[in-house]
Amino acid sequence: MEQPHDLTVEAPRVWDRPAVTVPVLVCLSLVGGRFPSFSTEANLWTLGTGGVLIWLGLSNRVPRRPAPRRLGAPAAWWALPVVVFGVFEGATFVLAVGDDFPTFSRLADPLLEDHLVRSAVWLGWLAAFWGLVRR
Amino acid sequence: MMRTLAIGGFLVSLVLFAAVEWAARREGSRIPTLGEVCAYVMRYEVGPVPVGRIGLFGFWWWLGWHFLAR
Repeated sequence: MEQPHDLTVEAPRVWDRPAVTVPVLVCLSLVGGRFPSFSTEANLWTLGTGGVLIWLGLSNRVPRRPAPRRLGAPAAWWALPVVVFGVFEGATFVLAVGDDFPTFSRLADPLLEDHLVRSAVWLGWLAAFWGLVRR
Repeated sequence: MMRTLAIGGFLVSLVLFAAVEWAARREGSRIPTLGEVCAYVMRYEVGPVPVGRIGLFGFWWWLGWHFLAR
């Protein structure tokens, strides 16, 4: 007998488990970390992985965690790091004096030349992206 | 001198991000985690268009592209 839809509990999909998603994200990150900046491969890899995640996030193929209905006043604490970062990024960008007063991107570039660091940043980016898709 | 100021400023902001997230994850905290703030932003819709989701996904994709492909 068919169960009413609102009484059935959807079983977690096989691929939607950390044992599957973590190795997949690590593999994607290791590949992405091998592509240098400004290369066609890096652009295609970013477009491909990001495109798939955006498609998953905008479709209803992945179960989402419930979102809060409202945020209280303590949420304003998040403005503190955002404003500090914004002030420094804005000032370094507007003054545009290069390495003497570098933007965050200019500071990160030399670090990202290392394959391992690059792969680690790829993993952080993809993992956070996956987290957003699940929200 | 100015370079040290920039590095210090960015480090302070990163430490503040970590500190607020840590405070949010404490037992009984009323501060939402960064994930909850993002989830709340992603609830925003204009008619049938999930503007919040599109905006946040677009921003995050651009960030990765900016650092990892450009």
